[in-house]
Amino acid sequence: MTSSEVKQTYARSQRPTPVDGYPTSTSTLQTATENILLKQLLDSSRIPGDASPPSTTGPVLQRNQHLQFLLRNLLQGFPQRYVSQDASQPWLLFWTLQGFSVLGVGLDDKIKKRARETLLALQHPDGGFAGGPGQFSHLLPTYAAVCSLAIVGQPGQSGAWDAIDRRKMYDFFMSLKQPDGSFLVSHDAEVDVRGIYCLLAVATLLNILTPELLAGLPEFIVSCQTYEGGFGNASFPEWDFQEENDEVTRVPSAPRPVLGEAHGGYTFCAFASWVLLQPYIRSYYTPAGSANTNPTIDYRALLRWLANMQGTAIELGGFKGRTNKLVDGCYSWWVGGCFGLVEGLLGIHAAPPASTGVNENSASTTADTSAGGASDDGWHDADDALLNRRALQEYILYAGQHPAGGLRDKPPKPADSYHTLYCLAGLSAAQHRVTPDETRRAQLLERWNAGEARQWDVSGLQNLITDQQARADALRKDVFASTLSWLEDEGADEYIGGSGNRVNATQPLFNLTVTHTELMMAHFYGQKLPPRQAKTPPKSK
Amino acid sequence: MDELPLYSERPEWVDVVPIPQYQDVDALAPINYSEEYQDATDYFRGIVKTEEMSPRVLQLTEHIIRLNPAHYSAWQYRYRTLIALESSLEDELRLMDAFAIEFLKTYQVWHHRRLLLTALRSVDAAAAELAFIARALEADTKNYHTWSYRQWLLAHFNDEDLLWSGERAWTENLLERDVRNNSAWHHRFFFVWGSGVRKGDEDREEILRRELTFTKEKIALAPNNPSAWNYLRGVLGHTGTPYASLSPFVKPYTATSVEKIDVVDLDNPVPSEGAELPCVMALEFLADTFEQEGGSQIPKAVETWKLLANEFDTMRKKYWEYRIKEALQASEP
Ligand SMILES: [Zn+2]
Repeated sequence: MTSSEVKQTYARSQRPTPVDGYPTSTSTLQTATENILLKQLLDSSRIPGDASPPSTTGPVLQRNQHLQFLLRNLLQGFPQRYVSQDASQPWLLFWTLQGFSVLGVGLDDKIKKRARETLLALQHPDGGFAGGPGQFSHLLPTYAAVCSLAIVGQPGQSGAWDAIDRRKMYDFFMSLKQPDGSFLVSHDAEVDVRGIYCLLAVATLLNILTPELLAGLPEFIVSCQTYEGGFGNASFPEWDFQEENDEVTRVPSAPRPVLGEAHGGYTFCAFASWVLLQPYIRSYYTPAGSANTNPTIDYRALLRWLANMQGTAIELGGFKGRTNKLVDGCYSWWVGGCFGLVEGLLGIHAAPPASTGVNENSASTTADTSAGGASDDGWHDADDALLNRRALQEYILYAGQHPAGGLRDKPPKPADSYHTLYCLAGLSAAQHRVTPDETRRAQLLERWNAGEARQWDVSGLQNLITDQQARADALRKDVFASTLSWLEDEGADEYIGGSGNRVNATQPLFNLTVTHTELMMAHFYGQKLPPRQAKTPPKSK
Repeated sequence: MDELPLYSERPEWVDVVPIPQYQDVDALAPINYSEEYQDATDYFRGIVKTEEMSPRVLQLTEHIIRLNPAHYSAWQYRYRTLIALESSLEDELRLMDAFAIEFLKTYQVWHHRRLLLTALRSVDAAAAELAFIARALEADTKNYHTWSYRQWLLAHFNDEDLLWSGERAWTENLLERDVRNNSAWHHRFFFVWGSGVRKGDEDREEILRRELTFTKEKIALAPNNPSAWNYLRGVLGHTGTPYASLSPFVKPYTATSVEKIDVVDLDNPVPSEGAELPCVMALEFLADTFEQEGGSQIPKAVETWKLLANEFDTMRKKYWEYRIKEALQASEP
């Protein structure tokens, strides 16, 4: 393309979302938002159509301001309007602590100790963690507390990890289990895939995943996929699973409709659950003679839906959470981060590069990008990521940052803790590529110490007959190796605005760094981790 | 609440030992509570500790919920107390009507209703709920929890005449007001395809025809509406109908401008005059049709995806290139 053609394409790509001469409340809100975003872009340094290298004109991550924002929350606490988060206290901590991790900032021992004490005050005597002291256990705060402890905790006296009552946590989880395989998020509360994800993430980290816990879950996740390809928040179980006097009768042909439309947050949770369930599906469904048919989801529809959630150029390439809704910084992670999971599970990056001559411009595009410059519209990248990584970074850097520190949904909204983390995590997902590494997996399997791992059992497996015990051991081993095989592809990173904007990579299954994940899992599975090696030699720049 | 004294100052609460939130812990990242909230939640922790279930617990939990409707423990404890006291659940539901409008966005408001309706076991109450939900959706047409609750209600009480029968007309009215309301489209899929066969809908061929006609009309009205195209794909996928059967309809939407057509084809409404063409979703549909047909049609699919990647939907360039690669690999001998 010539440069004037490039400019034309760019101008066209920034055209407003078509209203077709038929405005409705959805399109009116959309148009107003596009105007706000466009103004935001014009007000910042970048001139539309200017395709010069981002290092000179690119946006800057206001690292210091965001650190100040996080630090102020941590030490001075939260203003009164945060009373709405009183039942989400471990979340406030997780968003803040993980925000520091993504920004690459370690915390001093005194703060870590206070964090551990605060978090342990949220553990419920009957297992699990609550949203605040004296509140009831709930799956969502349990995830937030355990992940926070992955960041600030350690083994041994007062390290808090050994103060997590895993046996009671397991009992708490089992007490929430429903006939259709799903879980309530708390007693007398709802079923919701967010809760399922939180439970699976915690059970994986703490080595309390058992076949008994997971029974029926794959089918439940499958039932939450909508006709659009994304996932809704739950499905309706009562026609398929009829419960009378503690007996469950199944009518497997009965419909099991999904409740609620496809949504970014639920889609992330459902799909991350799906990835976490893979070892269980491998060993309890696939083998010959297994009575269960393999549950499957529609990957193509999911990918299509994810791709369609990315806003166009006029929306600065941010992500929306539902069809015909507005872009919002937090979906940078919920949807943007979900790409990494799908690509990782499907091995999309492992596929050989296209040698089909598909795109006449591909040769020049590759040359441009590997030389470190932006090509064409400035958004092409060298790897096979299915989202527009560069555009997503631009949304976060141009629209997501609040001038006074912290990140947000979109201008002119204020910054908050939640959006600060999920914008930063989304930025991380757009900059890095974290995928399963077969070599690492093989290495972990080879060094596996089954006896040590079984010491940590909480489900009473010792009493099981040998055959069942062996299968449960095999599951534990596969969970450990599969989970910890997700590593960063060195050299696949890409930074808008230069490498000064780099944030840390985050493990997409938990939204923790790979190191925090490894330390916690090595402890609870009783394993010694072999040293990590870079997956591929770093790209020379 | 106006100027009620703190619980710590009320004689009728003197027997309750309030429990402060953090004891012997210098909490990190604390919330700056109002005195009123702090006091109420201290007494709540006290009540939970002694497992008291009494009318004053209902008063206390209502107070806390008004200050923070996301306090799930207050909701749960309130529900258990209502059941333990055998309180009137109808009265509770009326109280909730006011709450729901005030705290529309809070999940717990809707879940609490669900618990009440489950306990009430009344189809009439469920029918009244549908009207209530409709009013709530006036204020917030895409509220996720409200929609999800409506779907649960329909399925749980599952009454054709009192519940399901009005859904189509009601949803169509919503789509008439905003054809881009994706929640309403999803709801339509839920009751037409997701939840078994409605009374009068036994002839599935006929239902398919009806839904295609409806969707095509809505696409003609505002072609660049992903909700309608997604519904169309959903219907075709659910019924196993080949995309190619829609080609005569889709074609004009892939043109670069609205073409004047003399013969009116009622089965295939053309893009409205204001339509901004080509419609990306129509191009995508066309490419997928070629891909489904396979064989010699694959190059045409590739051409169309290239148009999307390089011209009409450049944001998703990588995705379209992936589709091309995938189709070419699949079609290799
Ligand atoms: Zn958001």
